[in-house]
Amino acid sequence: MTDDTVAACGCPDFQTTRRTFLKGASAAAGAGVLTSMVGGVFTQTTFGAEAGGNVLVVLSLRGGSDGLSLVVPHGDADYARLRPTIKLPTNSLLAKDALFGLHPGFKPLEKLWLDGRFGAVQAVGMPTPDRSHFSAMEKVEDADDGSAARVGWINRLVGLSGTGVPNQAIQLGTSLAPTALIGPASAMSVYALRDIALPGGSEDPVFQRRTRNSLEAMWTGNDSLMGRAVDSTLTTTRDLAGVAGSTAGPHNGAAYPSGDDLGNALAQTARLIRADVGTQVVALDFGSWDHHENLGTVDAGDLQWMVRNMASCLAAFFTDLGTLGTRVTVVTISEFGRTARENGSQGAEHGYGNCMLLLGGGVQGGTVHGGWPGLRSAELVDGDLSVHLDYRSVLAEVIATRFPAVSVPSVFPGFQREAVGVMR
Amino acid sequence: MPPSRIASSALRHLLSRFSYGVTPTLVAEVETAGGGQAWFEQQLSPGGIPDRRAAGMRDWFPYLAYSPARLYEVNNSGEYPAWQSTMDLGRWTILRRAFSKQQLFETMVEFWSNLLHVPMYEDESWPLRISYDAAIRKHSLGTFEDLLTGAVLHGAMVCFLDNAYSTKWAVNENLGRELLELHTVGVEAAYTEKMVLNSACILTGWSVHMWDSWQSYYEPDNHWTGPVQVLGFTAANADADGRALARRFLRYLARHPSTARRIATKLAIRFVSDTPSPGLVNAVADAYLSSGTDIRATLRALHSHPDFASSVGAKVKTPAEDAIASYRLLGAEPSRPTNDSSFARAIGWQLDSLGQKPFGWTAPDGFPDVGVAWASVGRVLGSLDLHLTLAGGWYPSQDVAYPGVGARLPTLPARFDQIVDHASRQLLQRPATPRLQSACRQMLDIPADRQFARASDFGEWNMTLLLATVLNSPAHAER
Repeated sequence: MTDDTVAACGCPDFQTTRRTFLKGASAAAGAGVLTSMVGGVFTQTTFGAEAGGNVLVVLSLRGGSDGLSLVVPHGDADYARLRPTIKLPTNSLLAKDALFGLHPGFKPLEKLWLDGRFGAVQAVGMPTPDRSHFSAMEKVEDADDGSAARVGWINRLVGLSGTGVPNQAIQLGTSLAPTALIGPASAMSVYALRDIALPGGSEDPVFQRRTRNSLEAMWTGNDSLMGRAVDSTLTTTRDLAGVAGSTAGPHNGAAYPSGDDLGNALAQTARLIRADVGTQVVALDFGSWDHHENLGTVDAGDLQWMVRNMASCLAAFFTDLGTLGTRVTVVTISEFGRTARENGSQGAEHGYGNCMLLLGGGVQGGTVHGGWPGLRSAELVDGDLSVHLDYRSVLAEVIATRFPAVSVPSVFPGFQREAVGVMR
Repeated sequence: MPPSRIASSALRHLLSRFSYGVTPTLVAEVETAGGGQAWFEQQLSPGGIPDRRAAGMRDWFPYLAYSPARLYEVNNSGEYPAWQSTMDLGRWTILRRAFSKQQLFETMVEFWSNLLHVPMYEDESWPLRISYDAAIRKHSLGTFEDLLTGAVLHGAMVCFLDNAYSTKWAVNENLGRELLELHTVGVEAAYTEKMVLNSACILTGWSVHMWDSWQSYYEPDNHWTGPVQVLGFTAANADADGRALARRFLRYLARHPSTARRIATKLAIRFVSDTPSPGLVNAVADAYLSSGTDIRATLRALHSHPDFASSVGAKVKTPAEDAIASYRLLGAEPSRPTNDSSFARAIGWQLDSLGQKPFGWTAPDGFPDVGVAWASVGRVLGSLDLHLTLAGGWYPSQDVAYPGVGARLPTLPARFDQIVDHASRQLLQRPATPRLQSACRQMLDIPADRQFARASDFGEWNMTLLLATVLNSPAHAER
């Protein structure tokens, strides 16, 4: 985190990962969670499902992404009026129809779009606006209005998959309480895949074996909570030794952007999926998209390189996965969109309606789904794009199509979903 | 030679719950104080416990003395960013837990900070977080009524939970709701949504000059007037100055039987077990209510309940407790930090990397306090790495002294099994079990009967492995 983030907008909290996605409950249900921090990208992966099953990758665009700059409503006359300096010219957009076009930074994913494997939903969000990063993120991740349980929808998803896989499957236990506050002096070094190993790692097998033997001498048969965690650790480090210790590069000639945090996280995710260890849900935090200033234009400013980077990473991810990609669905989510009108700093403030992007297995792509409420003043909610579709309807459709064994009402209690059509 | 002395099991238990690590020095202090019961009473009055060394550590972090407005200023100017000044509070807190003689007091500061949680680094309250800590400390062993009032009306809480924006025209429910749900009665009290709104209405008017002086103020023009009802609390609320009303309301909530049960349960989970018995919760709640929310009386009831004595080893150490106990047991002696790698500063990042820097939980409900939340593979890997790193003195290594190999060994010559036993007594306050002996033999690859005549024969590397193995044992994982 840089100090000017604080000075600029006074709202750095989205960078402190607010992880209600995965905790507690999943352990009891037989799923495990692996947490890793790759550079600035916080990743959580669940295990314990059957091998060969579908995988959901939730990419959280932390900070409140500007949906109007990602899936651009160039055909709405008010778009240009509201955004005189940061609007994207129609002729710069990709895969245009009369109303929408993609930010040019999506070029690496254009083919996926044209092939119908990449699609979007516009004007989605929570049923009521919440413009605080802090509580909006919690609400989005919790997705259970009126419950104080603070469990999180992904937790409910993995807890309810009903695969009946016992704990002895790859049980990584619950995650550490997550915090991802990053300062330049940070010793943040949580678990990249290669760190899923006992001290000594693959470089010092003798040391690692002695550590294992000494732990077994003290802990074997210990049925306390920590005893079971140590047992899981010994199992996991052995079972994942091949994946963790492997230095094999990406497959199919995939080229992730060099040294990029998101690219590294996705490359590791692809390796885990390929290892077929029962990975079911992968949650990645990627940001910051909190562009209060210098959101920028087609080829300058902060947003355009982030879009390009994200698109390059995702394109490499699907290349890397190859035919396995049909099992993997990526969905983006953000705590809120940004104000329809640009501010005085070539940026936009915390807003409301946003878009979601979906890629991969089961996606009915090549088009923008959802209704378009429009950007006329009368249609805006306190100056923001209104929400035509509850974001849970999109997630529910993904879950219903990709994880048919899961009861959707159990994941989103009390929620009546609408058909979106973004999944087949 | 006779093996070194250790605490009785009962004393070890008491100290493992009300201190951050049972060291030989602490055991000796308790003996001087006249035993466990006397020590416990002494600890309930921390003002009488000399604490010069830990008190001096405050000066190691000059920005802790800055006003919220100045902290904001130095952040904006780039002189000292917010992530550093707030982390300084975390660093100092870790040092207090590790080195203060007022150990029980520090456990209560942590407990209340978690119950009335304001994250260390939250966008709209961070300049006030250091001042908030002082407010918590002021009443940590006083009454909950005073503590609650001081915390909920403090600018940090008012900003964190959006009361600063809450007006009669646009009532923000955030603080009003969490006050009921998290700070006092809990959802079991079955309040209605209308009561949540009323709770928020009562609190309208309390605000802070944000992004400026960061001073708290009260604005009667913003206060919602009209009749309010929350559980059994009713008021006409006709006066635009609702300050006295808010204080009456907080007092009512502090003394509510549901609050008593909730706090009794949380205390029992913290100090006794993850699944406290109804009898224990009732006894603690009764003491809380009959004493007028007196925290010391409440703790006495908890400590004297038979469940306390019978809960030996029933709690999982959190990662932060593991790290801090390890600092204590390994005899770390930090000195004034000179850079960000110095012990007194690096410990902030060390706990951060374990997932538990002080006040680092980002949601308003505070860190989980049950073992199931912390007994995970990630945690185990983190702890294994921590123990090895600390045992070797590898990180943090600057501006800190550790005892040498000789000081950690029994009288020489000694056999390897005697060396293991000595380390177990020093670090775990108990003789080495056969399984610990076996673990150490395997880790160090040394037979039990090998004799060591000189410290240099044993060597630093073996000592590192020995200490790490002892810290990896089940006895250290629990408290």
